[in-house]
Amino acid sequence: MTLKTTVIGAYPKIGDPLEAQELRRALHRRDRGEIDDGELGKVFDEVTRMAIGEIEAAGVDVTNDGQIRWDDLLSPFARTWSGVQPGPLERFYDNNTYYRQPVIEGRIDTDGRSLVRDYTFARGVAKTTLKAAMPGPLTFATLAARDDHYRSLEDRVLAVADAAAKEIAGLKAAGATMIDIEDPAVVASPKNIELAREAYGRFADPDLALTLVTYFFPPDAVLESLASFPVAAVAIDLRSRDTTAFERLDAFRTQDVVAGVVDARNTRLETADEVARYAERALRLIPEERLVLATTTSLEYLPRDVARAKLAALVQGARLVTGEKVVA
Amino acid sequence: MSDNILLTTTVGSFGKPDYLTKARGQAARGKLGATELEDLERKATAEWIRRQEDIGLDVLVDGEMYRGDMVAYFAERLEGFKIGGLVRSYGNRYYHKPVIAGKVSRPRPMTVSWFEYAQSLTSKPVKGMLTGPYTLLDWSYNEAYPTRRDAVLALAEIVRDEARDLERAGAKYIQIDEPAIHARPEEIEIAIEAMGIVTAGLSAKTISHICYGDFAAIYPQVLDLPVDQLDLAMANYGYRWLDLFDRNPFTKELAIGIVDVHAHQTETVEEAAEGIRKGLRYVPAPKLWPHPDCGLKTRTVEESVEKCVAVVEATKIVRKELAKVAA
Repeated sequence: MTLKTTVIGAYPKIGDPLEAQELRRALHRRDRGEIDDGELGKVFDEVTRMAIGEIEAAGVDVTNDGQIRWDDLLSPFARTWSGVQPGPLERFYDNNTYYRQPVIEGRIDTDGRSLVRDYTFARGVAKTTLKAAMPGPLTFATLAARDDHYRSLEDRVLAVADAAAKEIAGLKAAGATMIDIEDPAVVASPKNIELAREAYGRFADPDLALTLVTYFFPPDAVLESLASFPVAAVAIDLRSRDTTAFERLDAFRTQDVVAGVVDARNTRLETADEVARYAERALRLIPEERLVLATTTSLEYLPRDVARAKLAALVQGARLVTGEKVVA
Repeated sequence: MSDNILLTTTVGSFGKPDYLTKARGQAARGKLGATELEDLERKATAEWIRRQEDIGLDVLVDGEMYRGDMVAYFAERLEGFKIGGLVRSYGNRYYHKPVIAGKVSRPRPMTVSWFEYAQSLTSKPVKGMLTGPYTLLDWSYNEAYPTRRDAVLALAEIVRDEARDLERAGAKYIQIDEPAIHARPEEIEIAIEAMGIVTAGLSAKTISHICYGDFAAIYPQVLDLPVDQLDLAMANYGYRWLDLFDRNPFTKELAIGIVDVHAHQTETVEEAAEGIRKGLRYVPAPKLWPHPDCGLKTRTVEESVEKCVAVVEATKIVRKELAKVAA
């Protein structure tokens, strides 16, 4: 048996060589009116194909579509959901990367098909297991610039959760079995953890493998609470900052732990040995069949060549552990 | 009422003219020499100095025609840094995120000759423009220093040396930008400690620009940042940071952003003037400096001019209002 590996979030949309910058050029050409949305869409599809190909070529077990069409975690939904608009730019947590803050102008609703086209396309490309992704309700709600409709954070979070439930149902109908709920606010704003858990109750589905994905911040303040969310797996960053999580992983008694062991926000490359050591520490309290190794967050925070090297280290590290007994 | 109230300025960068954007692309592909590129950068700098004078701004900048990115520019000139691959900042915008790969050092001054050139073109004061040590670290990958604090303090010594060289070259205003200062609010003490190293012993007026982040998370601690003036994006935030000053009064000079740099459309002069009036509720006119929210490098030359004109015209209106009250 091998330790499973997966990716989180977005994959770099371009690389450094000019031939790897097709999407960048296509977007410029669209801005200048030289190509239309249909032609741009073809480039998005090609780059999605490339991203899935690179992730699979590295040997990763569960891939996603690289979120190539997403400007940021929230915009795809702020653009398609009724009652919401993408608003002013803001820095995304502690990154020098920006997102459009959702502006809530009315009742949030969706037909639940925001991701279906892209998921279906990616499914036709992926040779390995494909997962989808959504922003978590607490993250979407707390990163809104303005809310003219809901009276409280609680109302807003639950409304986003209801919209997420429709998207999740839409993905399920399109064949998705695994969906990441990317919700860094759960670890960034621990005080709202109970509200977040209530929200997850709105879309919990025993037939779907939902993963609550946290990143950027250590899970320490809420680790035991995360174990009580109605999800199949929880992703936590065990790598980029000091954390006590290794000693507390037995809190996850039934869920899979998606362990972020390769730092997706620093170019310093982990060796396969380092990755294996992190895995072995986790294996002291989590059985092999419930541990999945992953990057700490989106690889898009790295140049593409480094992202590729990080994936190689992740997979090699996972393979190093295979068949080995945990060192006491 | 003298003109020494509500001094107008800008945050640092302006839109580059098409000929320079094209030339930078050619230079990046090895099709244009460094000297030829620099000639065009000097031409564009001179044009921007003249435009700022024409617009009527009070304290000028060199416009950063020779910089792409505010961290990469310095990283390219410091030992210990490598220039990393492309990463996306937003939409279709990418930058080469630097890598701190070894001990950092400054072989020679990095901005002084540009300051001297820009200042030689005008009798108005030109600001010396630097990126602060915390932002240099936060916007780079750190492969070399054991902790973030170690890296920030090492970078602080470099920025200090550059600031002293600018002062020796005649800079009366030195701006040390820290837009990343709220990236990790728990590290504000590190940023403050590092800025203390940079500004110790300087007699120039010191300024720090902060933008795009959770300013509330570092207020009022940020008042301990050892600079004379904080330079804040406000228009983009609907001026909501001003509410923080109700509970903890703002104690420094305030450069207040009154036009949003990320919108193609420029605010009306009246909207911009209202921004100044809002600022005046918290900071007296001699200590309040109207300007755009942030650098204008993402705007075209024409948009940059429009935004600056709005700042200057709005300021004239409010100066007149203040003069009437005083009369």
